[in-house]
Amino acid sequence: MGFRFRLASLFVAALFLVQGITAVLVYRVTRHELVAEGQRQLDVAARAFSAQLDDLSRRVASSVQVLALDFALRSAIAQRDQPTVLSALGNHGRRVGATRMLLVGVGGDVQADTAGRLRTGARFPFATLVSRATAQPASAIAAWDQRAYWVVAVPVHAPDLIGFIAAAIPLDHRLLLRLQRQSALPKSIELATPRQGGGWQVIASGGDSGVVARGLGRDGRALPRKPQVMDVAGREYVVQAVDLSGSGREAGVVAVLAYSVDAALEPYRPVAVAWGALLALGLLGGVAGAWLIARTVSRPVELLAAAARRIAAGDYTPPPVGARQDELGELAGTFATMTDALRDREARLLHQAGHDQVTGLPNRLAAENAIRQQLDESAVPRAALLMLGLGRLPDIVTTMGHMVADRVMREVAQRLLPVVGKALVARATDARFSVFCAGATRGDAVTLALRIVEALSEPYREADLTLDLAPAIGIACSPVHGAEGSTLLRRADIALIGAMGSEEPVAVYDPATDPHRPERLSLMADLRRALDSGDGLSLVYQPKLHLPSGRVDGAEALVRWHHPGAGPLAPEVFIALAEETGNIRRLTRWVLEVGIEQAARWQASGLDLRVALNVSARDLDDVELPLRVAGLLAAHGLAPRGVALEVTESAIMTRPETAVLVLRRLADLGLDIAIDDFGVGQSSFAYLRRLPVRELKIDRSFITQIARSREDLAIVRSIVDLAGELGFRVTAEGVEDVATLERLRALGCDHAQGYAIARPMSPQAFEGFLDMPKVAGA
Amino acid sequence: MRYMALLLIAVVMAAPAVAQGASLSVIVVDQGGRPVEDAVVTLAGDTPTPRTAATTYTIDQKQLTFLPFVQVLRPGDSVVFRNSDRTRHHVYSFSTTRAFEFVLAPGQSSTPLALPTAGVAAVGCNIHDGMINYLYVTAAQAVRTDARGIADFSGLHAGRVEVSVWQPRLPPGHPEGVRQATLDLSAGDARTLHVVLRLRPDPRRPSDHERMRY
Repeated sequence: MGFRFRLASLFVAALFLVQGITAVLVYRVTRHELVAEGQRQLDVAARAFSAQLDDLSRRVASSVQVLALDFALRSAIAQRDQPTVLSALGNHGRRVGATRMLLVGVGGDVQADTAGRLRTGARFPFATLVSRATAQPASAIAAWDQRAYWVVAVPVHAPDLIGFIAAAIPLDHRLLLRLQRQSALPKSIELATPRQGGGWQVIASGGDSGVVARGLGRDGRALPRKPQVMDVAGREYVVQAVDLSGSGREAGVVAVLAYSVDAALEPYRPVAVAWGALLALGLLGGVAGAWLIARTVSRPVELLAAAARRIAAGDYTPPPVGARQDELGELAGTFATMTDALRDREARLLHQAGHDQVTGLPNRLAAENAIRQQLDESAVPRAALLMLGLGRLPDIVTTMGHMVADRVMREVAQRLLPVVGKALVARATDARFSVFCAGATRGDAVTLALRIVEALSEPYREADLTLDLAPAIGIACSPVHGAEGSTLLRRADIALIGAMGSEEPVAVYDPATDPHRPERLSLMADLRRALDSGDGLSLVYQPKLHLPSGRVDGAEALVRWHHPGAGPLAPEVFIALAEETGNIRRLTRWVLEVGIEQAARWQASGLDLRVALNVSARDLDDVELPLRVAGLLAAHGLAPRGVALEVTESAIMTRPETAVLVLRRLADLGLDIAIDDFGVGQSSFAYLRRLPVRELKIDRSFITQIARSREDLAIVRSIVDLAGELGFRVTAEGVEDVATLERLRALGCDHAQGYAIARPMSPQAFEGFLDMPKVAGA
Repeated sequence: MRYMALLLIAVVMAAPAVAQGASLSVIVVDQGGRPVEDAVVTLAGDTPTPRTAATTYTIDQKQLTFLPFVQVLRPGDSVVFRNSDRTRHHVYSFSTTRAFEFVLAPGQSSTPLALPTAGVAAVGCNIHDGMINYLYVTAAQAVRTDARGIADFSGLHAGRVEVSVWQPRLPPGHPEGVRQATLDLSAGDARTLHVVLRLRPDPRRPSDHERMRY
């Protein structure tokens, strides 16, 4: 609207301006021309008027002259026959149109007056005229008794000059009208005479009623001798005054010729009206045209704007501007092109967002959405999600590069699709495909999984390359293992990990073996809180029986966590959690503090016990550990031999240099170092010799079966023998029955630990256990 | 009077010429210095008027003109108008001296008209406007100036004389002429009087009227 309005306004304003200026110019030029023409005409008219009057004057004088030659009149005059003179004068006067005739003596005295107004002997008012008339007739236009007259004086000779005949012929509006009719005189002719005390008195007027001279006189303005534009009574006139009195000294008469500019413009008024109508019509047409043009410009622009808004909203319908040959059409075309490009690009982006570039399969996000959709529809009461992983893929990537890996994945996808049928295949991660089978049971899923494995058992071949794909499949079923796509994906993934680690290439999710349950996350936070406050954490002590003496001379401190919500948690669970989350050092610190304090307490109460405390692999990275232990010992006044530290073989193996350094420092403090779970790792005795180790704890897996397994017995025996030879103490863990205990004793094992002796117990229970008669040891 | 003639008078004393009587020469010129003919110079005063018998003068009308233009007469003299033209003339005069009116056929002469009293009679022709002449009737010594504008008087008695000059072309209002000077004459004086008259145009010229535009 704004643009349209402005455009239309511009057009209209320009139109109006041009028309208006033209109108004003034409008016002014016309008016100027009229005035100039009027002035010219007036000048001519004034001269013509003068000439006409002169001519008339001469004729009047001539007529009167003829009278003066009349013998009878002359005779009457010469003989002073007054009645005859008066009647003859009157008679002759009528002939020439004079309204008054006088006989004037040679001395300028009135001798007869047909009007009877001047007495005999009175002075003739126009003495100059008479003096001029001695030789020949003289005439003058003069104001006489508020009227304009030609006053003509002719000499009367009888035969000598005996007097003058004066004739007064009125110069009135009838004459003026006649003159106007006869020639092209202006409409306004006024005869005026100066009034006493200023101003002009109009004494005759032709046409109008003498407004000009009166108006000018009223305003006290001089009468122009040349044509001049004057404003009279609100109207404009071209005015010129002609002095008719000539050089005479009689009361002057001035003819005021005027030419009304307005009247002159009158013929042009229809033209002006037509012009105005044309202007209005043009303006109207201009407005309409401008509006239409603006509309043809702005309408498509608005349509394009609307189209742009629609495109922003995702509607790619082409703008309805239509085929135009102008710039707007071009713009619309470009717009359509842009829209198409946008649509294509968006489609591509959408495809890319939902699909894997390499295989062209839907990606995980798309698969998850599709699965969620299908599950939400509840059209399928059950479903199975298969997660296919290629065990060799990381190796392929690192050795062959991503290009080969991509080709491998493409090939896998090609092989996969015909097998799965209508199931939804997606590339879940770099190395995994997911297959979602709506309506599949667990059995269907396993069958499909086996077929897939079969299809992928053939190695991937490429030029001189042959790659074993080593497929593995994890299966999660809905609704058993989860009702949501993401859950199913995760659980199938877990199952896949299980399958990859086992012989069987296909595994179904087992909640029991899932180490990645979501509870773990909150457990970590709870563990941190427990470590901060100590609440829920406790140490229990499992007695270690010294076999040769049958006396309990030590205990292994084991940490327990009573979770405020979940109750007692298995140590494997939360210790593994602490290791994964980096809290193991804090846990160890807590164990050391509590264990050493307890040991000190027992030592103070006279109990001779060596308390074994477990230290994790991470603790062996901590070079501060020996200092902290020394500090604790000093703080509780405990002799170093009251404490032993147990480490696993694997803990030492992770970072041997630091571990050996830390262990050596600890040993230097006087602490005993024990190797826990000995026998399952790869440590050799030769290696153990370099360590400051005083004790070996044989793993329970060797101990539990020695009563029945000869191999185990042999292993244990050789360990005990060798350890004895090398000066290591040997402790057997997991001793669960008396027979085993006896067997160990027979083998010469130093210490035994297990349910056969006692379960781990609280310090108080432990103290009570020590006081009990040694039934077990008997 | 504005139309009064401006008069310049110069009297030049001249050497005595004649033993008996004095003489006077009056030279009349107009305002342009041209000699004025037909001016009548009259003397009044101590000098006696010569007594002469009554005379009849003939005024001829020739070529639409009265000849002479001015005729000096003594009271009692008569005039006869003679028509020498081939046209008629309607001779008239409204003068108080003698009013008359008659028509003269070509070649005809009027009966003598006696002019018993002094005065100036203007005589015109009613047919021909331009025809005019004057009959100057006076008892005093009067001489008409000649073509040179000179009027000569001789044999004048010593004593005081009043010199007047009249001319038809004088402005209106001087029916008897204008008194020009008063001279005291001695016996044997030969005086000359210069008179300047301011005159109107000559009304006689027929062409004047014919050329008029009205």
